[in-house]
Amino acid sequence: MAQSFQKKRAFLNREARLGLGLSLPIILIMGALVILPLIFTVIESFYRVEPMKPGMPFVGLRNYANLMVDDNVLTSWMNTFIYVVIAVAIETLGGLGAALVLNKARVGRRWLLAAVILPWCLPPVVNAIIWLWIYNPSYGLLNGLLKAVGLIAENHVWFNDRMTGLFLVAVVHAWRMLPLTAIILLASLQSIPTNLYEAARLDGASSWKQFKMITLPLISSGLAIALSQSTVFAFNLFDEAWILNGSSIGTRSVMVQVYMSAFQNMKFSLGMALSILAMIASLMVSAIYVLRVYKETRFD
Amino acid sequence: MKRRILLSAAAVLGLGAAILPFSAFAAEPLSVLLPPWVTLPKEMTDKFTAKTKGTLDVQTLGWDEIRTKIVTSMMANTAPASATEMDWSWVGQFGSANWYDDLSGVLSDDLKKDLPTTSIFTFDGKLIGVPYNNDFRILIYNKAHLAKAGISAAPKTPDELLADAKAVKEKAGVQYPIGLPLSATEGSATAWYLLTKAFGGDLFDKDMKPLFTEKDSGGYKAMAFEVQALKDGLIDPASTSLKDVEIQELFKSGKITFDVAGWAGNLAVYSDATKSQVAADAAAALIPNVSGKSRTIGLPGALGVPVSAKDKEAAHAFINWMLDTETMEDNYLKLGNLPTRLSVLQKLNKDGKLQQGDMLIAQAGLVEPLFPSGTPGWYPEFSAAVATNLNAAAKGQVSIDDALKAIAEAAKEAQQ
Repeated sequence: MAQSFQKKRAFLNREARLGLGLSLPIILIMGALVILPLIFTVIESFYRVEPMKPGMPFVGLRNYANLMVDDNVLTSWMNTFIYVVIAVAIETLGGLGAALVLNKARVGRRWLLAAVILPWCLPPVVNAIIWLWIYNPSYGLLNGLLKAVGLIAENHVWFNDRMTGLFLVAVVHAWRMLPLTAIILLASLQSIPTNLYEAARLDGASSWKQFKMITLPLISSGLAIALSQSTVFAFNLFDEAWILNGSSIGTRSVMVQVYMSAFQNMKFSLGMALSILAMIASLMVSAIYVLRVYKETRFD
Repeated sequence: MKRRILLSAAAVLGLGAAILPFSAFAAEPLSVLLPPWVTLPKEMTDKFTAKTKGTLDVQTLGWDEIRTKIVTSMMANTAPASATEMDWSWVGQFGSANWYDDLSGVLSDDLKKDLPTTSIFTFDGKLIGVPYNNDFRILIYNKAHLAKAGISAAPKTPDELLADAKAVKEKAGVQYPIGLPLSATEGSATAWYLLTKAFGGDLFDKDMKPLFTEKDSGGYKAMAFEVQALKDGLIDPASTSLKDVEIQELFKSGKITFDVAGWAGNLAVYSDATKSQVAADAAAALIPNVSGKSRTIGLPGALGVPVSAKDKEAAHAFINWMLDTETMEDNYLKLGNLPTRLSVLQKLNKDGKLQQGDMLIAQAGLVEPLFPSGTPGWYPEFSAAVATNLNAAAKGQVSIDDALKAIAEAAKEAQQ
């Protein structure tokens, strides 16, 4: 008995050491670059960190309370929720469609894949600048195309209407992030055994039924990951809103508000508190997706 | 024998490694952080090297980005560069954070007397920026457009400006004659400050209480003027997305007639045929005013040295070089940055090199600081509120009354 315990402990030690050794670099990197700054940010959000004022007094929840009554902050929250809804919907539906096409394609698949991935390879700022030209009210492509097909008679200033502005910013963000969703879902689709579809066809199942009963349940984990990443990235939307419409309140996201509070008004603790709230909100929404998608698409 | 060679080689390598950092330090260029309109051409940096034996590592960043870089670096107790741009609007914030050195000792008494705008960069008795770019606002217009509309003189009042713009639109075929930025950016806010003065108003009283919420105030009339001109089709509807520098491009291409909040130094650029399509037609006039007596605002740029800068002596030498008569002339003639030294301005005018020199000097005499007692630390918060609400009013998302009330509220909150 004692001998077998010793053997087991020795085995565990060796395995555990190897596992720890392999995990150590990522633990250190994540600890130093993510966990530690996060802990400092949480702690300092309870203090007043404003270089223009002397000292760093403890203020408790005052920063959080101030955020609850600030009209600009509340508007930026509303804008961000709208961004999340639009961007996640476009990315998920578009990404799923692209993944299904890529999964079925037999000719020119690699070129199609390269074309789908291209926007994801562009830096966010470059992406936003390209779309800034497209949306330009004087010489933009969008006005030109719509005028050419006769849908509009004269140039539109797209960002003059708040909802249009929010939609257009979300489209730019979704255009950049859609490839990631498509790739995650393509990987899930490729892991489904083809004999399941063959059996379903023999049983006379329609394409829609095959999609609903086989594809959707078997890509559920991939779908949950795709939804989570879309949500987190949409909550963190900054470059597109900033470059396309600056600090305009109609399209200001929470991250733009964080930037303005911290770096423009030099009220760092207020910015920290807001970024913590944004992180909590994105995690909560992601958790709801993961649990719901997982539950609804399981056979058991 | 082999061992001796090995030891000698190791000693040489070790010595080399020890010396290298010092030699590299000696030849290290001076890091300087400047905005795009001060992109020093090689011809100018060569002159700096010839005079000081030093070299420059110039980083060019947008105005907003420079500020962000300074704030992030200084929060980490690291200087973003040995010498940086110091905008007039940052003085209150950076001064109260004690991020910049007092440069009073760097300038000679004669030089201080020759630089009237140093008071704008003085915070708590410390000169934290040495002004090198004399930005004040002047009305710049296209005289060919006015001539086509049968107008012989530049407008002297805001009403005349509106009437002239309507005439130009009708008779000269200029679709949108008035150039004013209305995006949610600093350039839009400064144009509104200027128009507030043009309508005979001021932003705050001596106790820093807002003076722009009443309908008969200058600030209210200024915003109403901008919104109405936009509605009347005298301002391009796309202006709600345009920054001040984009308005300047419209003027250069002949698409607008009036650059209402024109940068004084830009006359040199507008009159340069290699950079402007309206070089022969660019002219300047005093900023219109309801009283008939022009008023304008000074928004100069300066150079500062962060407290944690690496090479302060070289930074001081760079600042002094930027104030040299020859450098200031080059800065104006090549880049359109108007000299801050009175003697250099007068010399340029005397030599016939100052575009519309007499008008510039006349307007320069009417410059008022936006905040007579120094730019307060809360200015950026106030200015962001101005830009945001002006933009929202121009888009029709809020009324002028609501926009101005929101700005006043933001000013009060920022002051707390």
